[in-house]
Amino acid sequence: MKAMNRRKLISVSAVLAVASLAATAVPAQAAEVGVSSSVIKLGMTLPMTGAASLGYNKIPGAAKAYFDYLNANGGVNGRSIKLIVKDDRYVPTEAVAKTNELILKDKVMALLAPLGTANNRAVASAVNPAKRGVPVLFLNTGFSGFADLKKYPTHYMVLPSYIMEAKIMGKYIAENFAGKKIGLLYQDDDFGTDALAGFKTAGVNFTVKVAYASGSQGAAAAAGWITKFKAAEADVVILFGVSSATSAMLGVAAQLKYAPQWMLGSVGGDATTIKLTGVPAGVLYNAVGFSSVPATTDMKDEYIKLFSDIYAKAVPGSAFDLNVLLGMNTAFMTAQALKAAGTNPTRKSLMAAIDSKGATFANSALVPLGYSATSHVGLTGYWVGKYSPTGDLSPVGGTYVTYTTDSGAGPVVKSTYVRPAMPAKGLPN
Amino acid sequence: MRKHKESSHLLPFILGGVVLYFLSGMVDELRVYQGASIAVYVVAIASIILLTGYSGQVSLGHGALMAIGAYAAAVFRIEFNLPIVLCFVVAVLVAAIGGALLGAAAARLSGPYLAGTTLALAISLPSLANEFAVLGGEQGLLFDVGSAPLSLGKEFTQYKWFFWIAALAALTSMWLLQNILRSRYGRNWRASRGNEVAAQLAGINTARSKILAFTISAGIAGLAGALLSMTIGTVSPSAFPLNLSFSLLTGAVLSGLSTLSGAMIGAVVLVAIPEIAEVVAERIGSSENITTNLPGLLVSALLVLTVLFVPNGPVEQHHARKAKKAAKKKELNILTKPSMEGNT
Repeated sequence: MKAMNRRKLISVSAVLAVASLAATAVPAQAAEVGVSSSVIKLGMTLPMTGAASLGYNKIPGAAKAYFDYLNANGGVNGRSIKLIVKDDRYVPTEAVAKTNELILKDKVMALLAPLGTANNRAVASAVNPAKRGVPVLFLNTGFSGFADLKKYPTHYMVLPSYIMEAKIMGKYIAENFAGKKIGLLYQDDDFGTDALAGFKTAGVNFTVKVAYASGSQGAAAAAGWITKFKAAEADVVILFGVSSATSAMLGVAAQLKYAPQWMLGSVGGDATTIKLTGVPAGVLYNAVGFSSVPATTDMKDEYIKLFSDIYAKAVPGSAFDLNVLLGMNTAFMTAQALKAAGTNPTRKSLMAAIDSKGATFANSALVPLGYSATSHVGLTGYWVGKYSPTGDLSPVGGTYVTYTTDSGAGPVVKSTYVRPAMPAKGLPN
Repeated sequence: MRKHKESSHLLPFILGGVVLYFLSGMVDELRVYQGASIAVYVVAIASIILLTGYSGQVSLGHGALMAIGAYAAAVFRIEFNLPIVLCFVVAVLVAAIGGALLGAAAARLSGPYLAGTTLALAISLPSLANEFAVLGGEQGLLFDVGSAPLSLGKEFTQYKWFFWIAALAALTSMWLLQNILRSRYGRNWRASRGNEVAAQLAGINTARSKILAFTISAGIAGLAGALLSMTIGTVSPSAFPLNLSFSLLTGAVLSGLSTLSGAMIGAVVLVAIPEIAEVVAERIGSSENITTNLPGLLVSALLVLTVLFVPNGPVEQHHARKAKKAAKKKELNILTKPSMEGNT
């Protein structure tokens, strides 16, 4: 009996090993991986299910809406763009496994907008896209560390770094809330470390700082945070966290009738997402907010108008919010990068195109892009707005006044950036 | 281990290693990576089978024990720059200590109470990392085992190196477990699982026996955790979600809780299901909703079917059928002998 068990173990192991490792022939390669005569394949990993997917799961639909529109209008140099999306449930293990599939099985040309700081670090370390020469375009995280060209030579940021945001907040505080007691809620990881570094550069002194661990944010925790802010008598409270933390805080504050001057970071500041969790819009009224792209309700803006029209046709009934706008904006920039990469784009020519022309890519943002041969920094600033009684963020004084800065010790300056006009029909030219 | 002939059985595992060695040279990189993942799951599932199948204790918190091992390995790698082999040894030892503590509590609990306790551990323990700066908070720590030695050639990929390490660890731990289960301790566990009172009457200290099972199982789980972190290059709380503990238990049930040799089945299923789901989803239309939800559905369906039709797992079922056949044959043989009383 025992001997049989053992023999069985060996045969079962051997059979399954052979089955699971069954060889797949490597096809003869074309000019570049992921680029055929008719299709360019791109891959994206992000949480589509699970707690962290709220809001973010609209990004692939938004990006595909733009790519479909582009493909229907001739694609890029005659090639259509195919976006392959994989759900990583916001778990690093799965992000690595799914990225492996994208690179090794689906053989995508580049990775597009992978989401999350921890996941991107795990992928960079285990899959090592840099070593494989795979471009990682327009990361969906603002952690400044990814702009390090030595560590991440093929990564391109797009969101302004959290340091930049904190520095611009600092300037606004100095000009508008001098002498007030300032409180800060931040996430206890690289996201928060970046923020603290930015506030330090800006010279903001906090009366009270409350850190929360990612995943711990909820109504019960929020009640605890409020106790601390109340005890310190903070006049202004900055919420520099993810949407779920901001929503929890504002929801509980509404119940407890706690109403300091709120200031919301861009990561957790999307009104549509906050209101979806049941927070009354009135709570947001008069809060200070920051954004790099126009308000999603601003139909006078040519980018917002065209993007929301395309999205409404592609995904009827879905609200056009910040995640959708950013998804489409990223897709739009990708199309221009591929176009600039030449008639037979390669991974190298794609990255070279962003290095040389990326800073001039048309896109909806109201602040400049920082791409150059020596920089993979994306957007570099924000405009300051206030939330309306219905919870929509609009610029103070009715016009967008933008500020730009860097992730180092550079000053915060009023931007003179003039956004490129939308190319005809919203197609790369 | 013990010297006599029955106990070691090293040869089959060496042969298995040789087969895997040649296989790893024949397949493409993605399959090699998946092979490494399978090896990691084999180790993790084996640790659950040992605990639940043989010693009769339920754990919903093996993800937490894996996290302990992973963090131990990463911290020793970063702080003391230990050689990678020693990092894995440290992972086993530290997780085993954690398991011994948990086992001491577990020996007083049983059934749903034990499940509840271990469940709480799975939820709370990984996020403890946020409280200590040395553990790197939510972003976690890098865990870099380094690339393969240059003597293996330039073509030797990182994933092949992962696969070799994981496969070697899997073969070694399976061999060790196989031998432990055949030893006095293994028999004690099975005796206590079968009937605790009878086992006590037979002179077995069931409490101590249970704690030992928890300790060894935790040590193996710690090894699995360190291997898992190796394959993703980092250790972070989010790499050990509650879901992981549940998937492993599912894998163990699919494997057959009482057959160590079945661990491979659960491991392959866990790695293969998402891929199968993708192929199916592509056939029936490429809706994201279907692709993202199908793997969960397939695993759940498989779990229900397993519990319904092969509650002891496919390997055990196969053995049972064979044993039945053999018994029938014997019966027939006996029947042909005139001395037997006739029945049916």
